[in-house]
Amino acid sequence: MVDALHEVHRVLAPGGVLIDARPDSRVPAYVERRSALRFQKFGVVRTNSVELGNDRASDRAIARVVRERLFRRKRHGRFWHRVPFESLPDLRHYLREHLRFVHRATWVVDETARRRHANDQFVIRRAVRFELLESQREVQAPRSFAASPGRRG
Amino acid sequence: MASHMADRIGRVGKHVPAMSSVLRPDPLHELGEWGGEGLVRRKRVLDLGCGDGRFALGIARLASRVDGLDPDNQAIAAAKKSARNSGRDNVRFAVGAAQQLPYPDGAFDVVLLSWTL
Repeated sequence: MVDALHEVHRVLAPGGVLIDARPDSRVPAYVERRSALRFQKFGVVRTNSVELGNDRASDRAIARVVRERLFRRKRHGRFWHRVPFESLPDLRHYLREHLRFVHRATWVVDETARRRHANDQFVIRRAVRFELLESQREVQAPRSFAASPGRRG
Repeated sequence: MASHMADRIGRVGKHVPAMSSVLRPDPLHELGEWGGEGLVRRKRVLDLGCGDGRFALGIARLASRVDGLDPDNQAIAAAKKSARNSGRDNVRFAVGAAQQLPYPDGAFDVVLLSWTL
């Protein structure tokens, strides 16, 4: 991943921007039933452990190229995105084959409610995080050197 | 719109769940969340891990040029077909890996790692 980020830095013009956007596994996703007026929480969906590890590795790669002063963090944020499904069985089918999520939701409503509303419309509401990083063309001297007494005055 | 979307989701969710681009936010909505169209307007953009080109094509009318790169041959073939159908002449797609980018130094103003890293 660090190799890829070094390549990104190479192909970016000075002051160019890297946008890193991906699902935010630091917070769970939610299963919600869609009704005319609102969304009702039915369950929680977590990211599987392999993808959690991959996400942490990505975070470390970004942190490293910032430490190397190839990039400067400009802005970051998170937004929520709803993926719609025709029914609860469709949603469960999707989860069973999903590459990032665990394959079963943790339900916060009982089985009776799930059966009663099985043919209603559902969504998975998931978080997406993003960060904008500015390419730094000039690699500055390490702070300890720049601030050494011999360089003053 | 909602039923059309639900239909697409139903098919994709059942049959090709790994090909998730239609399950992602709309490109312009996503761009809006990141800071708005100014981020890519009249810029040279590289969409790294572009998949089937959904995002690259979604922003092509704003950018001066968009390149999409992905290691998946089939996804790139689909992206090229979509580009032809869109009639846009400022979008190019290629098969390749992020560790060895086939572009010269300083070729882009914006590089996007969207759901890739």
